[in-house]
Amino acid sequence: MEPPESTASAAERIILRWDSTASEEAREKMIFTGDRHEIDRYLDAVDELQKSMSSATLSDSSSSAVASSTLQIAMARLEDEFRNILLLHTSPIEAESLTESTNSELTSQEFELKEEIEDRSFEKQFEHQESNSSTTSSCYKSTSSIREVDLIPSDAVYDLRCIAERMIAAGYLRECIQVYASVRKSAVDASLKKLNVEKLSIGDIQRLEWETLETKIRRWIRAAKICVRVLFASERRLCEQIFEGLGNSADDACFMETIKGPAIQLFNFAEAISISRRSPEKLFKILDLHDALSDLLPDIETVFESKSSESIRVQAVEILSRLAEAARGILSEFENAVLREPSKVPVPGGTIHPLTRYVMNYISLISDYKQTLIELIVSKPSTGPRYSSDPTVPDMDFSEFEGQASTLALHLIWIIVILQFNLDGKSKHYKDASLAHLFMMNNVHYIVQKIKGSPELREMIGDDYLRKLTGKFRLAATNYQRATWVRVLYCLRDEGLHVSGSFSSGVSKSALRERFKAFNAMFEEVHRTQATWLVPDTQLREELRISISEKLIPAYRSFLGRFRSHIESGRHPENYIKYSVEDLENAVLDFFEGYPVSQHLRRRSQ
Amino acid sequence: MPATDNQGSFLNRISIRRNQFAPIETCNDQEQENLELFQRHVADRFADLLYIHSTTTTAAVTNSNSNDHSSAAAAATTTDSPSATHETHGPPPPPQLLSISWFRNLLDTYLCCEAEFKAVLVSGRDPSQFSRPPLDRLIPDFLERSIKALDICNAVTHGVDLVQHWQKLAQIALMALRQTPLGEGQVRRAGKALNTLLTSMVFDDKENANNNFHGRWTERTRSFGRRVGGGGGNNKDRTAGNFRSLSWSVAKSWSASKQIQNMSANLAAPRGGESTGLALPVYIMNTIVVFVMWALVAAIPCQERNGLATHFQVPRNLNWAQPIIGLQEKIGEDWKKKEKKGTAGLLEELQRMEKVAHSLVEFADTFVFPMEEEKEAELAALVAELAEICKKMEEGLGPLQQQVREVFHRIVRSRAEIIDVLDQITKMSAPVPY
Repeated sequence: MEPPESTASAAERIILRWDSTASEEAREKMIFTGDRHEIDRYLDAVDELQKSMSSATLSDSSSSAVASSTLQIAMARLEDEFRNILLLHTSPIEAESLTESTNSELTSQEFELKEEIEDRSFEKQFEHQESNSSTTSSCYKSTSSIREVDLIPSDAVYDLRCIAERMIAAGYLRECIQVYASVRKSAVDASLKKLNVEKLSIGDIQRLEWETLETKIRRWIRAAKICVRVLFASERRLCEQIFEGLGNSADDACFMETIKGPAIQLFNFAEAISISRRSPEKLFKILDLHDALSDLLPDIETVFESKSSESIRVQAVEILSRLAEAARGILSEFENAVLREPSKVPVPGGTIHPLTRYVMNYISLISDYKQTLIELIVSKPSTGPRYSSDPTVPDMDFSEFEGQASTLALHLIWIIVILQFNLDGKSKHYKDASLAHLFMMNNVHYIVQKIKGSPELREMIGDDYLRKLTGKFRLAATNYQRATWVRVLYCLRDEGLHVSGSFSSGVSKSALRERFKAFNAMFEEVHRTQATWLVPDTQLREELRISISEKLIPAYRSFLGRFRSHIESGRHPENYIKYSVEDLENAVLDFFEGYPVSQHLRRRSQ
Repeated sequence: MPATDNQGSFLNRISIRRNQFAPIETCNDQEQENLELFQRHVADRFADLLYIHSTTTTAAVTNSNSNDHSSAAAAATTTDSPSATHETHGPPPPPQLLSISWFRNLLDTYLCCEAEFKAVLVSGRDPSQFSRPPLDRLIPDFLERSIKALDICNAVTHGVDLVQHWQKLAQIALMALRQTPLGEGQVRRAGKALNTLLTSMVFDDKENANNNFHGRWTERTRSFGRRVGGGGGNNKDRTAGNFRSLSWSVAKSWSASKQIQNMSANLAAPRGGESTGLALPVYIMNTIVVFVMWALVAAIPCQERNGLATHFQVPRNLNWAQPIIGLQEKIGEDWKKKEKKGTAGLLEELQRMEKVAHSLVEFADTFVFPMEEEKEAELAALVAELAEICKKMEEGLGPLQQQVREVFHRIVRSRAEIIDVLDQITKMSAPVPY
């Protein structure tokens, strides 16, 4: 077998010529940045050498050692070439692939700015706005999915694969993986940096203000999408392009060695958020994070499908379930807070309590997240019967809602129930029973309006319960009228005015005078007080005034019609008949505006 | 598992009610008994960890133990022992102090103590006790410490990744050196891998001063006498690309040493009346957490570990703490030696790997083909030891990493449970942040 000997030595000569320990020229120049012909010649030489080694007999140990030494020189060379090609293409991923395609026309700064604005409007919703349209969905549902990009141009990928083939064939797989992973990892690190994926420890994150974290969560969601769908997915494809089919699941090993660290770094943030202390204001950002991650999960499972990347898949699932647990915990915390909210100082004028606004805004935001929450909230609210000995928890039977409402809807209803329960308690702190009823009417009316204003909320609460609520504020309105007006109207009754035994004109003048005086005093007092009370909803205010007028005016008109003559025939009738019917009609218009009477008079006279 | 979570809070609420009628102000007998049992268990479990270590070292040093069960220990102390052909009989050797197996036992011990601690602290307790001294102060402090422990767990997980990376480099050397006949090419290949390994160890141990790194790097390159990277010109980048480092895991300013220092700060043994009450188990658990984290940081490469030895002390007069003190002293001494030598970590396998790698690099430097018989035997012993270390790493590091993750989960879960109890109290008066 002489001929192979000579080609082998020709191959060896080529390899030795490129031994960078041997000559300055070989050290300074790279094969793969040069002439294609030279590249092919070198690769052929390596193939030739390997072929001759595998066909050589074992007996010739010294020549085999020489060949093995030459092969080592070739492999060291190829390793350097491999590293060099990789290093030539380590620039971090391009800016336009970093932003999502819909926003590609924006620079990253503009992108941030746009986000900030969107976010501010989101926070506004969260504040106590009287707006009924809190429906801008802040869920991060998106349909975009894995989008691989070319991290390295295809001709370079081809070269890399040529080298990987040789190295693996010669048993240098591990070296190949080491070089590949160390170079690619720094490239991935650079991309993460560009995406603002910060290296925050769990301790750091617990110390940050929630507002700061909200911004970071938003950024993270954006970064995570790009990391998983573009960055990691592209790294995975690059590994496949270079190593697929070369045996020993080299592609997989390379991918994991490259990505494991960055992936853990990325998920660390979400993990830290998932274990942070729970409080109601965190719910929606946690749901955003949950939605984003759950959205990404299929992609994570695709990108990290191999056995070796199981730990990353597992971690993502763990974080997701912790976020879900956190959301559940926060909701139950919220319910408890609504139930126990301890403020005792009555709201002046019986208007809407800040708690009512807060709770209703909160649950209309909940309804914006209903898609997610319906999945997460699976157990029914813990209502009174379970803690029957606890008088501070209202009782509620949900059996009537069985089958027609989601568990989430039951929770929303339950929150409204305990809100009313709490408000009932607060109403007891009003000294005036009428005001307590007005307060309940206002608040329950507000609850109803908020529900009607949000189609999502209305659908979940359902018409049945909404009817109950409507009944409740109507009842409160009736109770108010009773508490205030029965007394006043009682002055206008006939009984007791007629002198007994007398048949003709048996009206007791003195009794009548007392009646008028009593009525005047009472009405004046009611007018003075209740003008400062407040019914913020104009329509409700109008209805209530009409309802008052409907009872008061006809009664007064008829009373006046029957008894006016008796007073006017006496002395100083103006002392007893202070109000004309028009005066009363006008005075009723002052009710529930929230100003003292003097101001109304001034306003009217203007 | 929402079911069990609900159950947990349900039980808590039950106990609120029960205790409304019979508030338990002080520890009753049952509780006192549980406390004592807890202390005894802690002492016993750590004594096992300490005992294991003392028997093996005795065996290795005196060589008087006929049941020669510690080829690993023997190999560690006497490098010329032909440990490869060793067949072990009887029960498996108890793990060497600071070995991977020892750490797996340590983490098991931690998990056991933690479970018992939680039972002592939380089960059937009137939650309002958490809002009264001393728990009102100790519990938030304990939770704060847990968060710090979580960061250590993460750092250690990354550190184990790095050790696995080194193991892979060692396996390259192993593969090369096992070729027969062994030619210069394979020796060079092994040398290159080991050099990368040793440089990476130095790189990660040094305190992140780049100039320092390059100084040591060139020194090592020269001592090897052969080209390691591409050599010459623009190859600074090329060689730098060779190293994995810990830098990606946490921010540059993060320091494992400082983290441990913060964890052990204001960790004071309860005095006077508190020393028999609930303050004690909290203190015990705190001590265990800090000790376990401290030992992990000492053994596994972590970012910035200056002065670690002095960052954790336990008062000497506590009975239950004696085994921990024993371990702490031993590991502390090792650490001081380490700081002088500049090794990558006290993990027993790691220390040996470093030593063997140095010997093998030396061997490679003086290699001439063909080998003398004496040299061949020397090489065979080194290769066998490296193989044995790699095997232990291969088998042990994955499970160790999983266990660290388990500890992480446990801390998270316990923290959540304790916070749940705290919330039970605060809920009664919690304002809504409207």
